[in-house]
Amino acid sequence: MSRDVPVKMFRFKPGDAAPRYQTYRVTVPDAANVIDVIEAVWRQDASLTFRHACHHASCGTCAVRLNGYERLPCIYSVAEALQGRDEMLIEPLRHFPLVSDLVVDVAGFFQKQEAAGLVITRTAETSLDGRRYSPSELFDQAGKLTDRPYNRFENCVECGICISACPTMAATDKFFGPAGLAAINRARQQTDDPQRKSLLLALADGEQGVWRCHSAFECTHACPQDVDPAGAIMSLRHDLAAQKIKRLFGGQG
Amino acid sequence: MSAPHVIIIGAGSTGAATAHDLAMRGVRVTVLERGEIASGTTGRNHCLLHAGGRYCVKDQESAIECIDENLILRRIMPEVLELNDGLFVAITEDDLAFKDKFLEGCAACHIPARDIPVKQALEMEPFLNPKVLAAVQVPDGVFEPFRFCLAFLATAKQNGATIRPYTEVTDLTRSGRSVTGVKMLDHRTGKTETLGADLVINATGPWAEKVAKMAGVDVPVSPTAGVMVTISKRLNNMVVNRLNKPSDGDIVVPQRTTGIIGTTSWTVLDPDQIDIPQDHIDKMIHKGQEMIPAIQQTTIRGVGAVARPLIRRAGGDEREVSRTFECFDHQRDGVDGFVTISGGKTTTARAMAEKVSAIACAKLGVQAACRTRETPLASYRLYYA
Repeated sequence: MSRDVPVKMFRFKPGDAAPRYQTYRVTVPDAANVIDVIEAVWRQDASLTFRHACHHASCGTCAVRLNGYERLPCIYSVAEALQGRDEMLIEPLRHFPLVSDLVVDVAGFFQKQEAAGLVITRTAETSLDGRRYSPSELFDQAGKLTDRPYNRFENCVECGICISACPTMAATDKFFGPAGLAAINRARQQTDDPQRKSLLLALADGEQGVWRCHSAFECTHACPQDVDPAGAIMSLRHDLAAQKIKRLFGGQG
Repeated sequence: MSAPHVIIIGAGSTGAATAHDLAMRGVRVTVLERGEIASGTTGRNHCLLHAGGRYCVKDQESAIECIDENLILRRIMPEVLELNDGLFVAITEDDLAFKDKFLEGCAACHIPARDIPVKQALEMEPFLNPKVLAAVQVPDGVFEPFRFCLAFLATAKQNGATIRPYTEVTDLTRSGRSVTGVKMLDHRTGKTETLGADLVINATGPWAEKVAKMAGVDVPVSPTAGVMVTISKRLNNMVVNRLNKPSDGDIVVPQRTTGIIGTTSWTVLDPDQIDIPQDHIDKMIHKGQEMIPAIQQTTIRGVGAVARPLIRRAGGDEREVSRTFECFDHQRDGVDGFVTISGGKTTTARAMAEKVSAIACAKLGVQAACRTRETPLASYRLYYA
């Protein structure tokens, strides 16, 4: 079974005076997700540029604003997107430089993520030691597989949804941002090195760090992966405040 | 003499790894990709870092390639791998009868495998079907395809490569019998350009035949689609495979918070026009439950289908076709300056790159040796540096 979907698509190319909206009609299976709609539009009009790779919420590339809210179209159903509406509206993320149509420039965002230095293959839930294994550690001397703790990717897919949803990012793109601060918080949980821990805290304490956040919690609300960046920001603030109080009363901090 | 210039068409795993290999050998590289990085076959693949177990009985050449590359990738890109191993589980007597052949196959392909007691397997994987009859552990892993490509491309960029996404090759330029470069359309700006090259490498996976036609040559690549169903909950730590010869719905690859059930297999005419049959989705859920019954209690999070590039050889259906790769120097078809690399899998992308780069360097008179086996890749995020 398939359905007809009217789509209002944001269009913009470098050199255009202003963005415009173009309406398409596509046919997709009843059970389709919104990414299938975007691909169907592209099959009609190859000039449409959009980001996508995995189609299962792991790569984080396809994030857009759908009907005014940040979503991953690969896991958002067409049925839900059309609930109470005649057509769906698809626009690029906010607070990123616009490149072309739905494509935004994520370079600055990834540079901040790199500065946070989070290693993505580790979680505290199951991979308790967070170590990486060389092939020689995989097998014992008899060539048998050794027992190792599990490791797994971080939940954050670096999709940029929290950046687009964040009211502070609207005021300044210098702000380290929810994903970056959440990454700093995870990175400090990963390390036992006190020097690295304090460097990470200092990064969070900086001019563009946790104190710029307006505590709107939009990031946590919008996150498709339950990362809770706002919770991470509150946790960093708590520990920074505790450190300052300790210093104030003569401790070494 | 300035370095030769190579254009690579396609920024999936093969194109990305080839860009890295050639850039490290001092070649000037431009990668052209019509969409986002990994937006074709690589992005939508199953994310399985093969240990080779799936092929160790019927397709040992592929199995050996897989385990060799698995161990190399662990060294060069640990950051983008979940290394939790894989379990091959027997559910039926027929599966159980396959176990000895499987263990022999693993031994023949030097795949480390351990036959573990069922009780231990159920402790390791509590959602496994309690009726499981046997379990064999192998060093499978899970990668993240987008970041897999970014890591290769980030390193290639550090070595001088230029990467141009959203830039589609619309034709090849030719002089006599030689390919001399490409005509391309930048979808971001709508502008067309031409770009010259000493060699053009066609690394477009299942689109290889389409691109080769621009040079008037043929490559025997069949786009073969497969459906993957992603469920709402991660139910396994390790990759769970059916202990039998490859068939539909015989693997659940866990990743992050989800599990991906795969896959089916049918030949399509155009990799851009794949309609997902509902019965394939139902089959994935049904077959997946035979290994992990709790899949019944999850919901479907996403469904995807993409075409794999299978190299056509005489005879056999698509399940029997070898998953190994092949490089075609089109000089054999009377066309110079044009090479196609296709087939294979993301796990073997580095080896594919090594093979096509060796051919490219021989044609271009580049002496430098391949160093990708031992060179750790840059952080994937540095692609955006």
